[in-house]
Amino acid sequence: MIALYVVAAIAVYAAARAILERNTGRRFPYANVLNFAVAGSLVLLLDHPITLVAAAAYFVGSTLEANAIASTYAGRMKR
Amino acid sequence: MLSELLHIPAAAIISWILFVAVDIFFKLPEAGGVVGATAIARDIEAGGGDISGGTMMGNIVCSPDASAGTLLAACGVYLAGIPGGLAAAVMVYIGNRICYDPGYAGTTGAVLATFVIYGFTQVGFAASDFIAGMVIAILTIQGLSHTHASRLLGRLWRIRE
Repeated sequence: MIALYVVAAIAVYAAARAILERNTGRRFPYANVLNFAVAGSLVLLLDHPITLVAAAAYFVGSTLEANAIASTYAGRMKR
Repeated sequence: MLSELLHIPAAAIISWILFVAVDIFFKLPEAGGVVGATAIARDIEAGGGDISGGTMMGNIVCSPDASAGTLLAACGVYLAGIPGGLAAAVMVYIGNRICYDPGYAGTTGAVLATFVIYGFTQVGFAASDFIAGMVIAILTIQGLSHTHASRLLGRLWRIRE
């Protein structure tokens, strides 16, 4: 039970840091911590084998999104 | 209750050593896998951090690496034991291919973490301790101080070199 509270508290903290950070590039690592915490809390909340697929799908999807946004950001920095 | 309070920090330290060692072994601090990772590294360096450490942090953001592998393996072992951990490794492998990641840090990390975490569940740890521990471990790298974390990773990378 404590594990779930720890993960949820970290999710809230990471979300706050991501919002407060002014530099776009340095926002991504905070959003990354948020993704880890959400994937972890999904599994801790829903105790069923299929949850693993949901957590992995969420995690891979959010990583792909971060990858795409960061690439766009890098392209804009070059121009 | 009390054992959980002691097990979670211990699991965090074990997870930290495991994923940082695997990521550095697979040379994540050497170069950005995608342009986005390089851009994140440049911003971390501009904030006073280390470029190699920043590159590793950028790569962690942009593709499922050993840290993602460790987290999903912990989730897999929690839900379905060793087969669950290995199923997580397969999903990390697919995730790597989707993200155009040439390395195998994520898959290797997931397979290693499955057996390490299963081993610790045999001596009183719960797999949920490792889920929370892994989230704490990634928080120390990506979420507390980018400057200090990137310098520490840069120092570890130079030892590897």
